[in-house]
Amino acid sequence: MMKWVLFSPELYYVVMAAVFFFMSLERQAEPRKLYKWAVILSGVGVLATVLGARLQGTLFFDAYRIDLFSQVFKILIAIGTFWVMLVCSELKGVDERRHAEFYFLMTICTLAMMMLVSAVELLTIYITLELSSYSLFLLVPMRKHDGEYAETGIKYFMIGATASAMMLFGLSYLYGVTHTTYVAEVVKALPRVFNQPAAVLGLVLALAGFLFKQALFPFHIWAPDVYQGSTNQVAAYIATGSKMAAAAMVIRFIGFGNADSGYFVQLLMVLSVLSMTFGNLVAIIQKDIKRLLAYSSIAHAGYMLIGILTMTEQGYASAIYYALAYLIMNFACFMVIIKVADDGHNLQIKELAGLHKRSPLLAMTLMLGLFGLAGIPPTVGFTGKFLVFAAALKKGYLILVIIGMVNATLSLYYYLIVIKAAYLLKPVREYLPVRVDGVTRSLSIALVVLMICVGIFPDRFMQLTEAAAAALLM
Amino acid sequence: MNSLSTYLILAAMLFCLGLLGVLQRRNLIGMLIAIELMLGGASINFMAFNRFLAPEPAVGQIITLFVMGIAAAEAAIGLSIILALFRQMRSINVERAQRLSG
Repeated sequence: MMKWVLFSPELYYVVMAAVFFFMSLERQAEPRKLYKWAVILSGVGVLATVLGARLQGTLFFDAYRIDLFSQVFKILIAIGTFWVMLVCSELKGVDERRHAEFYFLMTICTLAMMMLVSAVELLTIYITLELSSYSLFLLVPMRKHDGEYAETGIKYFMIGATASAMMLFGLSYLYGVTHTTYVAEVVKALPRVFNQPAAVLGLVLALAGFLFKQALFPFHIWAPDVYQGSTNQVAAYIATGSKMAAAAMVIRFIGFGNADSGYFVQLLMVLSVLSMTFGNLVAIIQKDIKRLLAYSSIAHAGYMLIGILTMTEQGYASAIYYALAYLIMNFACFMVIIKVADDGHNLQIKELAGLHKRSPLLAMTLMLGLFGLAGIPPTVGFTGKFLVFAAALKKGYLILVIIGMVNATLSLYYYLIVIKAAYLLKPVREYLPVRVDGVTRSLSIALVVLMICVGIFPDRFMQLTEAAAAALLM
Repeated sequence: MNSLSTYLILAAMLFCLGLLGVLQRRNLIGMLIAIELMLGGASINFMAFNRFLAPEPAVGQIITLFVMGIAAAEAAIGLSIILALFRQMRSINVERAQRLSG
């Protein structure tokens, strides 16, 4: 087999980015035409990643590893991108002349995240991480009439650039104490040198970059502002696609470890507890639904970390399953937000009032998505939480599981506030009826079916995630 | 003077100054320069480890080259965002840009 076949899904996205680049050079590009192209091309992209699911091998002097784990996450990222492109039909938040650039940056970001999940070498990780961050740095301030939210972009940029500089400095120490840049060898050499302060400092600083991407506790501050200040579609993309890549990277980095490095696990535990508790407590008082989802995403990153820090195959499998569940549920919520606020403004919770009359289908999608996020059976979110907590219990982390459970109950409160708004509240003034086109209708039906089916019959997906976790540890 | 620790201390000082600058500065350009200082510290680390300890001769140098390229891209993106912000607020002071409460 030719080596380049291994790289074919990424190559496809390079071509797709080139198409949008040339379209952005045109003087007059029509938004409808661009939207059609974006949907078709990203749909084919999903197909390309699915076809590449069974590929295996290494590329570029072993700096780039293709196994079932990376391919599963590539499929998740491609699906997330495809869904976000589907809801771009009313891209009112972005100036019409910039639509081509918008799609171009989205594609580049997708490409970078796909490369990130395959990267197993420090320099490769750094470059792909920066590439995906830079495209997001540019996508966030693209919002039209952004007087109110002008500072979002610069805040995101400053926090992101600082976190990545800290990560690079940490990586330099890791390189210094282990004399190699391959993650597998770095992590293998770490237990030997763990008594050196440089190794510990390097690891902690290197984690900063990963924590920033996943919006975990000390680096979460950007999430609420960025969700609120960016276009609804970009927020949806950050919440779904970008989250997947970050989760994959953390799993990959820790998955190589496999060593009983006690302090490190304790550090991760503290971070996970802080993320969960902080996210859930602050989410309660939010009025803007995107800010609410941002704080809930901080909490969910904490839940996911519980599965990862068990450092067992079962734990990794549960974390991958949780990532899949999170992608579906979170996107369902964002799709409803984008459709209800189709002129691109920021949706307040009270504006959802009477949604079940205005659009029953969207209201049901929103309800199931929020139930899933809260972890109520029979949705996919319940199964995800169950698997994560089961993996942690098996390892004997009882207190961690109890804190997680308490947090899940806390989170139910603010999810129910949103559901109450959609189903029980009477609207204080007339809102325009929600326009639901064919694409949205079929997409929401598909999401509802997915949320319930994957939740009730998780067997096939669990087999897939377990195989992916096994491939990770191979 | 030709020892590893000299370079490591220099790099750590650069990094700490950069971090302090990011946290202390109220001027966006100043913050950007401070981030470049942090990256510079990391680059010195890579070069020093490469020069004194590395089994493979070129890895650290290659990383430093890449970091220089990436830092240039970062500065370009950062300055363009700052410029866009300046057009709206007529200021590049962070205190003027605090309408969202993170």
